[in-house]
Amino acid sequence: MPKYKVSIAVSKTPLSTPFYVAQAINAFDNTCVTVQFDEVIGGQVAFTKVMNGDVDFGTSSDSVIAFQSLAQKNFVTHAMFVQSDNDVKLITRPTDNINSIIDLKGKRIGVTKGTASEYFLSILLALEGLTVKDIILSHHKPDQLVDSFISNKVDAITPWEPFVFQSKTLLNQRIKIHETKNLNTLSFNLISQMADDLLVEKAKCIIQGLAIATNYIATNPYKSKIIVIKKLNVSPEFIDWVWPDYVFKLALNQSLVLSIKSQAAWAVATQMSEFNKLPNVKHFIDNRAMLQVDHAAVNINL
Amino acid sequence: METSLSQRIYIFTATCCLLFVGIILSALWSIQTVELALSRDNYAQQVDNQTNLLIQLVTEDNIYASDYSDKKWLDSQRNLSNLLELSPALTPQLKTIQNSINSQNKSVKLLFKKITDNQLKNASVVIREHLKARLMTQLEAIKSESFQLSAIAYKDIHNTMKQVIFFILILFVVSIAVLLYCAFKLTKTFSTSLKEVKKAFAKNHSGHFQEIELSIKTKEFNSIANAFNSMNQKLSETTVSLEVMKKIVEERTHILEELSNTDPLTKIANRRALFERGKMEFSRAIRNKSKLALLLLDCDFFKRINDDFGHLVGDEFLIHICKICHQEIRDIDFLARYGGEEFLIILPNCDLSGGFETANRIQESLARHCRVINNKEVCTTLSIGISVLSDKHHNFDQLINDADLAMYQAKKNGRNRIEVNKSHPLH
Repeated sequence: MPKYKVSIAVSKTPLSTPFYVAQAINAFDNTCVTVQFDEVIGGQVAFTKVMNGDVDFGTSSDSVIAFQSLAQKNFVTHAMFVQSDNDVKLITRPTDNINSIIDLKGKRIGVTKGTASEYFLSILLALEGLTVKDIILSHHKPDQLVDSFISNKVDAITPWEPFVFQSKTLLNQRIKIHETKNLNTLSFNLISQMADDLLVEKAKCIIQGLAIATNYIATNPYKSKIIVIKKLNVSPEFIDWVWPDYVFKLALNQSLVLSIKSQAAWAVATQMSEFNKLPNVKHFIDNRAMLQVDHAAVNINL
Repeated sequence: METSLSQRIYIFTATCCLLFVGIILSALWSIQTVELALSRDNYAQQVDNQTNLLIQLVTEDNIYASDYSDKKWLDSQRNLSNLLELSPALTPQLKTIQNSINSQNKSVKLLFKKITDNQLKNASVVIREHLKARLMTQLEAIKSESFQLSAIAYKDIHNTMKQVIFFILILFVVSIAVLLYCAFKLTKTFSTSLKEVKKAFAKNHSGHFQEIELSIKTKEFNSIANAFNSMNQKLSETTVSLEVMKKIVEERTHILEELSNTDPLTKIANRRALFERGKMEFSRAIRNKSKLALLLLDCDFFKRINDDFGHLVGDEFLIHICKICHQEIRDIDFLARYGGEEFLIILPNCDLSGGFETANRIQESLARHCRVINNKEVCTTLSIGISVLSDKHHNFDQLINDADLAMYQAKKNGRNRIEVNKSHPLH
């Protein structure tokens, strides 16, 4: 069996647990790939690296995929490996007395453009019948969101983990984390440039390793947590904080298509994106690798 | 280690039972596993149905309408939530899917509540449609999960069946092999042991008392062998075989024959043996037209020896005379006690002069070898009558008779001399 070297841009978040566990338990050993990780902050950076050809694969949230599909980039999604219903959160100051979303009206809110952060905010607003036009939006890099909040440049931010936990640790009583669990489901996915047969073969092998890791996480959650704690050099409290929100499982479902589609349509409708032509989302899904690994986990009509 | 046949049969039966129990247990296990997988599949189907119902409700009804009644939705939603709480036992992998369904369900509930609570009266169509699309996405996610759950359940059924068939097949093959092996061993034990017992019986029958040597040790056959061997031991102690018997009879017959042909005092042939041999030599001489001479020897004054020295000394003299005669005759000659102090010597292939010479040698030897009795030398002499086979002799008795007459002649002519019965020799 040939052994291919592949590089993957992995977002530095516990959402990437399947990759870390796969590496720790040598799950890629019996597959056709030897994997090298390129750790990045945020799925958008990972996406850029993939498109620039710096890496073979990357991990991106469905929001990033939705935004990038509008730009008609040549990329495909091979598999979803994790979902969280509480990864992105809304942080405000207790002193601002923002008790419900409606109170955000007119406030300065920091987001990371073209990511789940931006999409999450728009959904929160929409649920109250508001749009981004009703607030003052500012864009920041993921790791700079908290700084802008501390330096009082914004009144609220919608960062993802681990930045929410960092804020909580740093500011303790001086922040308010709003209960938004289940309001938005975020998924992380394995992406690459438009795949030829060889790239599909490589994706298949990566997914095989991820499948082993996913089973390991399901049966050994405690050991898996320790692997992530060591790998990300984070506190056990942080992992305990985010872990209940995660579901690690491999799938390529119709819901992903719908999610990307609705987010893309939303981005166009709310003018979050500069593009206005809705893409055919199915062009950005490649189910060949996933079908070879776990046929039952593929429920998508291409 | 010695195991009994009954123990072996028990072990054999127990092994059979164990193997069959194994097959039954694996069948029961497979039924249970398949039932569990079926219940998972059934559960997944129900979740799918319930989700479809919710999708239908969202698609068909205008959830943003002012007169929208959420009763149907809430009922279905409650049913789905109740259903999710009553999930069957799940593997860790299935539990992950179940967790995902639960999470999606909560999202659906929350999203619907947010939408209907606000009714989003001021919201644009875009917002309304997007939120509805999100709701559909979440429901679609539940559908996908239940599909995956069902697929895994089917895979489990398939794998279980495959495992069970493989296991039962292996168990079956092993069972057959073990049973055949046990049956073969038992049969071999029986047939070999029976053959060995039969062989020992056959040997016994032919008079060779042989112990049963069992090549396969079993308690039962060992007890038979022991009983047989001890019986054999006793039989061999008390029973004389035919060959031994024959030998004994031959020996005894030989002794009896010797006794009947031997004179008890002088240990030379007696009168019975004399006539038997004499008749034989007579017939042979007639047949072969060969010569035959007879010497009849009578101890002179034997009565006086008896009277002077006693019968024991007399007996010793008779033995002494026999010894002298033996020394002086040829191997083919035959010496016998004719009666009292009379002896007869048959000389085959011997003519008159030969007989005369022999008679002379005997007399001379006897004269040289006197006996010392009470420090006094005592000598004895013989009167010898010779007869030679002639045409007037028709039987052995006549020849003896002639020798007798000659011997009387010797007595009459002064004893210690040799007389010949003159007649024409036959050849």
